[in-house]
Amino acid sequence: MQEYRVMLVESNTDLLQRMATVIQNTVGFQLATAYSDVRDALNQGSIFRPTLILLDVDQVDSYTVVEEFMEKFPDARMLCLGAKWSLPLFRAVVKAGAGGFLVVPFTSAELINGVHGFEEADKGGKVITFFSPKGKSGKTTFIANMAVELAEQSGSRVGIIDADLQFGDMAMFFNLSPQSTIVEAVRDIGFLSPTTLNSYFIPVSDKVSVLCGTRRPEYAEQVLPEDFTALVQMARGAFRYLLIDVPSAFTPVSIAASEISDKVCVMAMVSGGFEIQHMKQCLEIFKAFPDCYDRLRVCFSRVEPCTDEMREKLEHELGFPVFAIIPNEYLLLSTAANNGRIVADIRPDSAFAKSIKSIVKEIYLEDRKG
Amino acid sequence: MAEKNRNGIVVTVFSTASAVGKTLLAVNMTAELARQGYRACVLDLDLQFGDVANFLQLNAQYTIFEAQEAVVKRPVSEFQVMDYLTLYEFDGTEFFVLPAPQKLEESYNISAKAVGQVVSELRHYFDYVIIDTTSAFNEANLQVMDMSTIVTAVAIVDFIPTIKNMKIGYDAMKKIGYESNKIRFILNRSNAKTNIEVSDVEKLMDAQFYHVLPNDFKTAVESTHSGIPIVLDRVNSQTPLGKGLRELVDKYTNRVGPVKTTPGPQKSSWLSGLFKK
Repeated sequence: MQEYRVMLVESNTDLLQRMATVIQNTVGFQLATAYSDVRDALNQGSIFRPTLILLDVDQVDSYTVVEEFMEKFPDARMLCLGAKWSLPLFRAVVKAGAGGFLVVPFTSAELINGVHGFEEADKGGKVITFFSPKGKSGKTTFIANMAVELAEQSGSRVGIIDADLQFGDMAMFFNLSPQSTIVEAVRDIGFLSPTTLNSYFIPVSDKVSVLCGTRRPEYAEQVLPEDFTALVQMARGAFRYLLIDVPSAFTPVSIAASEISDKVCVMAMVSGGFEIQHMKQCLEIFKAFPDCYDRLRVCFSRVEPCTDEMREKLEHELGFPVFAIIPNEYLLLSTAANNGRIVADIRPDSAFAKSIKSIVKEIYLEDRKG
Repeated sequence: MAEKNRNGIVVTVFSTASAVGKTLLAVNMTAELARQGYRACVLDLDLQFGDVANFLQLNAQYTIFEAQEAVVKRPVSEFQVMDYLTLYEFDGTEFFVLPAPQKLEESYNISAKAVGQVVSELRHYFDYVIIDTTSAFNEANLQVMDMSTIVTAVAIVDFIPTIKNMKIGYDAMKKIGYESNKIRFILNRSNAKTNIEVSDVEKLMDAQFYHVLPNDFKTAVESTHSGIPIVLDRVNSQTPLGKGLRELVDKYTNRVGPVKTTPGPQKSSWLSGLFKK
């Protein structure tokens, strides 16, 4: 990590002292100068050649001052400071050129985290889209539980994007009432970076974050496929694994997501209907991908009995490899979802939890080899 | 030529939750209406993965794709909607079917406006036009719901995310401006083993159920693979689910008391009329 020369701009003397101490005590940071007056900082600060500006925006008249700083200090990064984080505030300062926002007073760890995103983003992010021909495939349950297990096994950050635009359930599965959703993220994508985009995701554990779906079905039409694609490409830079829940059937968003993903998990729930036929129809379309056998992962949920023989039977009927079969544990799964919990938290010994564990293990090992 | 003299009732079967039994309901409503002597047809608007033709084991020559294409490409006066329908027949009961497109690429090129025109035409030939849909607010669904006399909104007792989606859907429909008496809530699979009570669902959705159907997975699956609607099968029609489906249609047709089981003269003249050219 590079060494930052910090210019701190804070009108509250008490806060200024506290933050100055933190900065000096944090490895990799050096307090070059501090100002209590914004105009003084703008006019005089360049002599100290700061590479990081921390600007308290609670006292400023307008966020255009952020733009002024970015113009005056083209080689510096900025983090804005304030007493409270809110999406409109965050959005306004990032749009004006800031690289992020810290709540004051901040700790050393928070300061380090704040500049983390300025460094080269990890390009190794893997994207998996979860596709289903029809609704009620079990994919939301699968994604939610998989994400937590994947973060656990890999030790890496996992992001979930709920792009099931009209009726996405991810927020419910984690008991979230988000301030920001995919609608806002897509709206703002033009001026976001992986670090700032990350703030639109809600953390549900220290390694798993969720970008929630639209609050009402009417908002779905605000998410255009091109902007959605830009969102996903940018989110790769913030997460090691990105799991995308898309609407069922071939829609502009589900197609866009499938095209830019490293893997497409095609899922259906066994329920005595025409699931195999629908799956075959899907695979016909997906076979247009030149590397389809490498890219596609067919999964069936609610498989009874959940045995290797049953998997072989499904493979035989389908004429395509079946990557995973998930057992039927309706009451357990619905209890978990109803309470915003992950199954492994309530019943780690259940067939479902064990199945998720082994599926994730396979994905993670495959990923490490490739 | 079939007589173009009806002013049919359009019933769309819709839900904002998936796997609730829309297709089962649409097919059985159509079959029961036909069994009761009405001229009925079912249109599958679940364009990509619709199962109406599967449930009836029907090999159709034409689908909604060709029908709406004809409306778009040819002069309106030339459009004969009956040319595109496939007849389903079982044990003396007959009704017509307009299935979903055969190819996925076709489903992508359907004009919602043309679908509306197809439905308008169907109304001239049938007493009842039943429309099966997919669980989303898309152009085609909104078009036919606008035209519908009744929207049969199907709900099930399931975990909270499903109930949330049904509630959001209902709120959205109210916002669109459908009068509440246009929307009829049917609760399907009412006694399935779940964590939630029927009364809770009613409370959460702030809606009353027009009719409640019992859960009978075995009968439902059997009928979907036999190609025989539950209401037409001698055994299955006498199950609680079969009776429930018949009672539902009785409510729609304002019929009270037992139903005639032998076809009346009115029905056969329609059939023979169909084959007069």
